[in-house]
Amino acid sequence: MKHVDVISGVIGVLIGAYVLITCQSFPPDVVMKIGPAFFPEILAWGLVVFSALLILQALLGKVSGTFERLSLRQKGMQRVLLSVGVMIAYCAILKPVGFILATIPFIIIFMFLLGNRNKFQYLWVPMAITIGVYLVFEKVLVLSLPNGLLDFIL
Amino acid sequence: MNVNFDLLVHSYANIFTLKVMFVVVVGVSAGIVIGALPGLTATMGVALLIPLTFGRPIVESLSMLMGIYTGAMYGGAISAILIRTPGTPAAAATILEGYPMCKKGLAGSAMSMSLFSSFIGGIIGCAIMIFMSPLVSRFALQFGPVEYFALAVFGLSVIISISGRSIVKGVMVGFFGLLLSSMGLDPISGFPRFTFGFSELMEGPNFIPTLIGLFAVSEVIANIEKMLKTQKVKAKLNQYLPSWSEIKRSTSALIKGSLIGTFVGAIPGAGGDIAAFIAYADTKRSSKTPELFGTGLVEGVAATESANNSCQGGAMIPLLSLGVPGDAVTAVLLGAFVIQGLQPGPLLYKEHIDLVYVIFSSMVVAQFVMQFVGMAGMRFFAKVIMIENSILMPMILVLSIIGSYAMRGSVFDVGLTILFGIAGFLLQRYDFPLSPILLALILGPMAESNLRRALVISSGHGSILVTRPIAVVLLVLAFTFLVLSFLTHKKIERRLAGMAVPDDDAALP
Repeated sequence: MKHVDVISGVIGVLIGAYVLITCQSFPPDVVMKIGPAFFPEILAWGLVVFSALLILQALLGKVSGTFERLSLRQKGMQRVLLSVGVMIAYCAILKPVGFILATIPFIIIFMFLLGNRNKFQYLWVPMAITIGVYLVFEKVLVLSLPNGLLDFIL
Repeated sequence: MNVNFDLLVHSYANIFTLKVMFVVVVGVSAGIVIGALPGLTATMGVALLIPLTFGRPIVESLSMLMGIYTGAMYGGAISAILIRTPGTPAAAATILEGYPMCKKGLAGSAMSMSLFSSFIGGIIGCAIMIFMSPLVSRFALQFGPVEYFALAVFGLSVIISISGRSIVKGVMVGFFGLLLSSMGLDPISGFPRFTFGFSELMEGPNFIPTLIGLFAVSEVIANIEKMLKTQKVKAKLNQYLPSWSEIKRSTSALIKGSLIGTFVGAIPGAGGDIAAFIAYADTKRSSKTPELFGTGLVEGVAATESANNSCQGGAMIPLLSLGVPGDAVTAVLLGAFVIQGLQPGPLLYKEHIDLVYVIFSSMVVAQFVMQFVGMAGMRFFAKVIMIENSILMPMILVLSIIGSYAMRGSVFDVGLTILFGIAGFLLQRYDFPLSPILLALILGPMAESNLRRALVISSGHGSILVTRPIAVVLLVLAFTFLVLSFLTHKKIERRLAGMAVPDDDAALP
């Protein structure tokens, strides 16, 4: 917990410092001294102070709670990284490929990642969810989803 | 009298049409399902279902939102009683008596009392909301920029002081959320801040995709990491209404729970989970047999469920009258109202009084719909919580991604959802609470624009913040909450841990 809190505190300080540096390039207000930099600067200082406090608490050993260390060797974290990669890929192909063709393999991959080994469910669940969501959004809510490669049919 | 009864009756006429009643039933049912599923909070459920309201006529959208809110606040009790896992944080206290009742073979009794109590609590909360909200909005007309700034600070301090284990971490995420809310065009000068060259960030990070990412996608990622197993429900559900003797025994708990819930809900930042624990503690303290609490007492379920549902009515008072959310769910609702073109606050009463009464009546109607749908679907909802995670999680992901996409047809919003999903997962993993970020996103713009307006009025002198009595009271209360919370946090944790059911059940994830 100590390491993570120190790292979290350092990240907080870095974010605060970035905001403070960026605010130097904001123009002052022409009429009043209170310009676009005013509020972000106050917030950034607040973040820096409390991040430093967290680092201090961690170094003095005054932290509560426990957690599992994050390690890329753990199967759980490997699944998380893979699933984030799949989500990013889904996001990238959603428009060109289309909702239906992108979503069916997306669901299949996630069912596998989550340990589903029932072959029968792979046959109908991805189709049912995809078609269900498609019908609700397209026909009931009249919100268009990307057709992509199926544009000539839909 | 500050209630316009003509308008109230007229608004019921708008609600009792086939289309509106249909969307209320859909909203309540969807809300109950989302609320019942462990890992899906009411906040997340409302956020996920908001896209269903896009493009609908405003009466239908508002009615559906009230239905979703009502259903979600009750739904959490189903899994709390049957599998000792609260479907929503507001149902955490229901485990204390609900699960022991289930273990004693009284699941039907617990389920029927939780539904009935939710109904009674919801009705009492609505009644207080209908009478108090116009009064508060009239009082709020005296509010100026200083008071609104102080109110925003107060709301944030409450949510920080009750979230998570560490006040320091809570304040850090509060500041982080406020910084996120400052992204986009400066509200006074129009200068673009922290947009990183993206035109999509000109209005700041889009609220619904950010919310869906923080609350829904982060939960899915956490589930993928832990690979939680779905639990099986073996209880027999053969009772739809509590018996007359159970109602008689629980009358005091029902009334006090409803009043406590409404009062706690009206405090900006405090929600159903707090209300439920306070109501439970009060019922235990005033009982003739406090030593029996924890063994499965129906009045314990009555207290917690009436409190967490009456909280809705309470939380709507500051939302509608002041434009400040009473809890995390109403913070999401505020975003939904803005999308529908409504700006909650005292001006809402002046410019859209008819819609305010639609909200009042749709909330009352939703309580009745919840009672009937809950009774009719009790066994169905008990089966729903047994859906395998390997099917449920992909379904939630697809809904999250498409819900984010559907707002503007923008893949950028989907990217934002995924980014905040990762951020939310990491923050929660390392004990940083997420609720302060949600409230900061809502209250940040209000805090900044009112603070700057106040300083313009006073020609830059900060002393204006301490010259207005209402503002001073709010700022002192905010500071007091944080300090008290810092000093007593560990004591509260130990006390709550002492009230928990002993961990003798290996099925708990």
